[in-house]
Amino acid sequence: MRTNDVILQTVTKTVSFIILLFSVYLFFAGHHNPGGGFIGGLMTAGAIVLLYIAYDIETMKKVIPLDYKKMIALGLLIAVSTGIGSFLFHVPFLSHSFGYFYLPVLGKTELATAVLFDLGVYLTVVGVTMTIILSIGEDDE
Amino acid sequence: MAVQVLLNFLLAFIWMFLNQSWDPVTFILGYIIGLGLIYFLHRFLQGPFYFKRVIAIVSLILLFIKELILSSISVIKLILRPNMDFRPGIFALPTDLKSDWEITLLASLITLTPGTLTLEVSPKGDTLYIHAMDLPDTQEAISQIKNSFERAIKEVTR
Repeated sequence: MRTNDVILQTVTKTVSFIILLFSVYLFFAGHHNPGGGFIGGLMTAGAIVLLYIAYDIETMKKVIPLDYKKMIALGLLIAVSTGIGSFLFHVPFLSHSFGYFYLPVLGKTELATAVLFDLGVYLTVVGVTMTIILSIGEDDE
Repeated sequence: MAVQVLLNFLLAFIWMFLNQSWDPVTFILGYIIGLGLIYFLHRFLQGPFYFKRVIAIVSLILLFIKELILSSISVIKLILRPNMDFRPGIFALPTDLKSDWEITLLASLITLTPGTLTLEVSPKGDTLYIHAMDLPDTQEAISQIKNSFERAIKEVTR
């Protein structure tokens, strides 16, 4: 018997935006406050898992046409290349630096290269979590 | 579309609550992040991604400014001629635009560009009668308006 999931689906549509926004907040909070790439990535994966619970896998493939395995590779590539990038400035591997810049709208902003490394962590965590959950969920014998 | 804009504003406000800062910079940052999230999940929401339409509106405005400058120059060339040897004329422009709003916008844009003027819309609303200051070729004038303004308006409304 198929039940009508309209309440779950409608609530999920609105709640997933708030969870995703909170995950982005956690990701950027990582430098001065609790948070960072790992918890942000897990929270994003949590929002996507909620969507997968409310909808079926075929629908979600159309809504989010992302290859999560490629996402892992991209995340690792970003993390490694921020490490290699420090060789360009003749400093040891994975050296980190930051500075204050004046951006057009945002004004005085602190930009740190550690955020780029965090972005790699974030993408890898999302990719790994989603790959694990989907490869378990798709095994439908 | 209106729902997406409202959702974007709501997300920007939630972002301000999360950061506990109430300046416009935080709002803009939250709006940009919300825009990204709406793009990520826009297939759940009704209609196409709303920012595409914003881009279409901006490109319509830019197209209008471009046409305004070009036709102003051509009208200046005409009126500075020593002898009045150009040919004014009225031509009918068949249009595919359906809604009242689209036809009004097209007629206004044609009127605002120098050299052409919308006189009348046919009762069924499928033909516009346009007066042109210099009309060497009717077919060319029709295709020029159809390719520029009508196409850009269609991009905005559908």
